[in-house]
Amino acid sequence: MPTASLVCEGFRGQAATTAAGLGLPGLPTALVPGHVDVQTVDELRQNVAAVTVDAVIKNLTETIARAGHAVAEPAPADIVFEGDFDEVNRFFYENDWSDGLPIVPPTPERVASFLRWSDRPGETELGVLLPDQRRATVWNVAVNGVMAGCRPEYMPILIALVEAMADPRYGVEHSGNTPGAETLIILNGPLIKELGFNFEQGALRDGVHANTTIGRFWRLYLRNVAGFLHHRTDKGTFGNTWRVVLAENEDALRRIGWSTIAQDEGVSDANAVTISRFTGGGVIASVFGNTPDSMLPYLADSIVRKVGWELMFTVGMGAGSQRPLLLLSPILAETLAKAGLDKAALKQRLFELCRIPAWQFERYVGAWTNLVPGRPTLHALAKDGVIPPVFAESDDPERLVPIVCRAEDLMVAVSGDPLRTNAYAFAHNGILGFPTTKPIRLPAEWSRMLREARSQ
Amino acid sequence: MLPAGQRASGEWIDDTLRARAEEKGLLPRTPLAGQFPRQRVEVVRAADPTAEVNRLFRLRGWTDGLPIVPPTLGRIDAMIGGGALDRHAVLGEMEPLGGVASVEKIAASAVMAGCQPDHFPVVLASIQAILEPEFNLRGVQTTDENVAPLLIVNGPAARRLGINAGWGALGPGWTANAAIGRAVRLVMNNVGGGWPGAVSFAGLGQPGRYSLCLAEREDDTPWPPLHVELGYRPEQSTVTVMRAETVINVTGGLEELASVIGSAASLFGMLWSGKATVILSPFTARRLASEGRTRADVRRELYARGRLPAETWRRSWIHATVRASDWPDWVRAAAESGSIPAVREPDDLTLVVAGADLPIPQHVYCPSWGHPPSRVTREIVAPYPGAPRG
Repeated sequence: MPTASLVCEGFRGQAATTAAGLGLPGLPTALVPGHVDVQTVDELRQNVAAVTVDAVIKNLTETIARAGHAVAEPAPADIVFEGDFDEVNRFFYENDWSDGLPIVPPTPERVASFLRWSDRPGETELGVLLPDQRRATVWNVAVNGVMAGCRPEYMPILIALVEAMADPRYGVEHSGNTPGAETLIILNGPLIKELGFNFEQGALRDGVHANTTIGRFWRLYLRNVAGFLHHRTDKGTFGNTWRVVLAENEDALRRIGWSTIAQDEGVSDANAVTISRFTGGGVIASVFGNTPDSMLPYLADSIVRKVGWELMFTVGMGAGSQRPLLLLSPILAETLAKAGLDKAALKQRLFELCRIPAWQFERYVGAWTNLVPGRPTLHALAKDGVIPPVFAESDDPERLVPIVCRAEDLMVAVSGDPLRTNAYAFAHNGILGFPTTKPIRLPAEWSRMLREARSQ
Repeated sequence: MLPAGQRASGEWIDDTLRARAEEKGLLPRTPLAGQFPRQRVEVVRAADPTAEVNRLFRLRGWTDGLPIVPPTLGRIDAMIGGGALDRHAVLGEMEPLGGVASVEKIAASAVMAGCQPDHFPVVLASIQAILEPEFNLRGVQTTDENVAPLLIVNGPAARRLGINAGWGALGPGWTANAAIGRAVRLVMNNVGGGWPGAVSFAGLGQPGRYSLCLAEREDDTPWPPLHVELGYRPEQSTVTVMRAETVINVTGGLEELASVIGSAASLFGMLWSGKATVILSPFTARRLASEGRTRADVRRELYARGRLPAETWRRSWIHATVRASDWPDWVRAAAESGSIPAVREPDDLTLVVAGADLPIPQHVYCPSWGHPPSRVTREIVAPYPGAPRG
């Protein structure tokens, strides 16, 4: 809204200062010459007519030159500190640049060695990240990759991850919200084997270099570039540790003819990362049986049990954005496939089984949490066309309703100990971390470079 | 650790301060204003690190001109341990530049000021008080008047910390009085941005802007102490913060005090119905009490007798510039009767007993400044006994 603030000559500095303090830098002001206290009415009238009125008109009619976000920071190649390993680590930690574990000092040499693994120059902008509105660049990807302990050849994956983070569809700005959900990175493609990712026993546990360090990189990047810090921009009530990268068992997928997560999300490139934010999850131990009929009720029951208040992403905020993930060990996937289920058929069966009474659903998003304003019934929402008709097949409160809007909203991945009949279910954070898949672009000389790196 | 203020949106207030200092030709005082690494912690390596920190901080505009204690992380941790608040707790955004007054930033200035960790709860309570909207810190920091916060400490904390209430309580020589008041000033300077000449337009300033802090002499006060009068229990500790335009010494009795209150009345104080402060000598307090007078009686008497002749008011420069209708009703009504009291009502005189117990008694009168009427009291909360330190 155009404004003009009248300011006596001696108070211009105060006005500029106060405006900045009030969050209005560059607030237009109109000068009143001298000080009104010592002017006669005639003098004042003269001064206002000669100077102030013009300034007021300018204030009200010209474009305001908004001062930009003036946070001075070191330039990319600045040396911010010199010292030994322990000193660097203390310095980085005390300045909130580290997660508390030792970091690898991001020296110019190490950063350069990472930059070689991308065909794009360091200054290439990958996006602008909230809340700090800092530019994500190939350069600062390399710096955080070094710090996280990554190997230089992980760079193409790190860059794809940051492209996904910067995609508005994902919603990185919600990364500090109070439920404190954590991102899961799912990797697909030949890179899984080329870079030695674990996709078998202990797939979600730290201990394998590529899975672990890239998972750590994600959190460091959220901290150092997006700007999520404890007690400040991060409001996660509890939060939890970052997750290691989940690599799918693509050998198993190929054997049973199932698509990968990346393909399910519409990306057919050879290598891709998928990020999605999950509020929590838990193991489904000892799935017993050898037919879908014997196995699926248990799996569906476990998925349902993980989802409570998250149902608000099915019917409330970002309706239809709830995307639970079922992670199957290869032996479970193979058993289901042997019975003739492809992924789409599996999802359809689960969609029919993952159901709860309408009154219970309404309690999660209504009486217990007040998360959906006005506490409308599912019946009313479906009648208004806000959610699909499947939620209103009758108005009996005992009727069973699904926990997602469509069968394809369920995600299914395959990884973990190949021969153990366990699964894992994740509840999803909906629109506050929506699944986002990005292809991984490799440098032109990838094969040669990788060969040389391995022979070193 | 860097004591400089950072706004919630991330900007460092020093960029604005540098621009203001430059406009006012004040960069020779702070040639390194705004020139520091934009981070929480900086490593200073030098043959004499303390001297180097002092040089850098002075040239960056972060001191009151006197040497400071370098705010190392260890000292800051110890300081925070002296208070009862978490290091990340935010007491508010400090006017006029809106730096975030977190416990950690306040602790940095408290270390610099020479506070001991035991002093920190008083510093925190004082900062809470000046952040109250009623205190109008934006006005205090930017006005062309010379107002300073006057900190009056009551309760067991005053005795435990050795905050002087007796001989020379407003003078040099008392670590707690000097350091606590100085810490508040450094926070105002570093987090709020009240740099003299660049943001603070106080014409002359006053020595009270280094520190203005004392305790009430409760043991020699014949009446219940100030904080009890304000509704706190005797075993609670409080700091009461007043806006003091200046500090005027009065030697003599109630008559002399009333005379000074009348003649030294702040016309700005009258215009805004400000609350003034009277520090009464223990000798006089005892004598008045022995005559059966209460604290309230003394206030009423000073109110009745400490008056500005209406004619003086009419001839004043401010009377010529302010519209008649801008004066509050009580001033105009009193003027009709021939003289104007220094404050709107007796209760607007804050009466404190302090100073040496001399038979030639000395008192102080502090006229008020600005809008709105303000007297803010906050409880001093120390950590629970046995709380881990540092």
